[in-house]
Amino acid sequence: MWRYEKRLQYPVKITQTNPKLAQFIISQYGGPDGEAAAALRYLSQRYAMPYEKGKAILNDIGTEELGHFEIIGAIVHQLTRNLTPKEIEESGFGPYYIDHTTGIWPQAAGGIPLNACEFQSKGDPITDLFENLAAEQKARTTYDNILRVVKDPEVCDPIRFLRAREVVHFQRFGEALRDVQDHLDSRNFYAFNPAFDKTAGDKNC
Amino acid sequence: MCGCENDLMKKVYETGFALDDILLYLDTHPTDVEAMTYYRYAQQANRDAVRAYEQVYGPLMITQVASDDWSWMKNPWPWEGGMH
Repeated sequence: MWRYEKRLQYPVKITQTNPKLAQFIISQYGGPDGEAAAALRYLSQRYAMPYEKGKAILNDIGTEELGHFEIIGAIVHQLTRNLTPKEIEESGFGPYYIDHTTGIWPQAAGGIPLNACEFQSKGDPITDLFENLAAEQKARTTYDNILRVVKDPEVCDPIRFLRAREVVHFQRFGEALRDVQDHLDSRNFYAFNPAFDKTAGDKNC
Repeated sequence: MCGCENDLMKKVYETGFALDDILLYLDTHPTDVEAMTYYRYAQQANRDAVRAYEQVYGPLMITQVASDDWSWMKNPWPWEGGMH
């Protein structure tokens, strides 16, 4: 279970609204490489992980991603507070506004809703950890893309924090992958799936 | 830049982050004695920072509601930062 700590993992204090930027950044709320997908991916993968380091890292990075989801929500909210209809029209925020007013809804920058098809929980520790390494890099690239178009230091600051965490998570998942491989046959890591086959002989053919 | 409204909050953020980061390191390096020592240090610093903050601004966790009235929802929520 989780209990709420009444603060963000990293503070967000944005004084200048910018609905155009909000539309870009919302991709990390509900987009393909966003924080909601990350949390759901890692927290769902925990059940198939047989090794203690892997279980801990999936649990704890998954938990941190929930905190990142909240940071992105706060950024998007603060960038879209007190908008006038004129600002909405001129910034291109209109399509989002028509469907959600200035409420926060998990979608990609292009409007595609959050979708579980954007991540996997494959029931194989090696497969899942490789997916996670890719996911952290994809999120890092998205933050790089965001940082190229952000000029406001109040927005850059929390985005840079989130980008740095992607790099740390990539490192930790790499260490967890090495630990999984240390538990397996070094001549063939794929001899069997440790989350499913009890012995190498369980895998037919 | 922190964006923190005050020094007490800043300390909570700093020590909280130290814990978040060492936590992940310890998950994959559980026998690193130096890291464990750092964890103990960060843990104590975070406890002190949270206690100092809560005495002035009210509870950060639901388990720390100390007053007889419902102080939990008195402070602004974390996503409401800025523009106040």
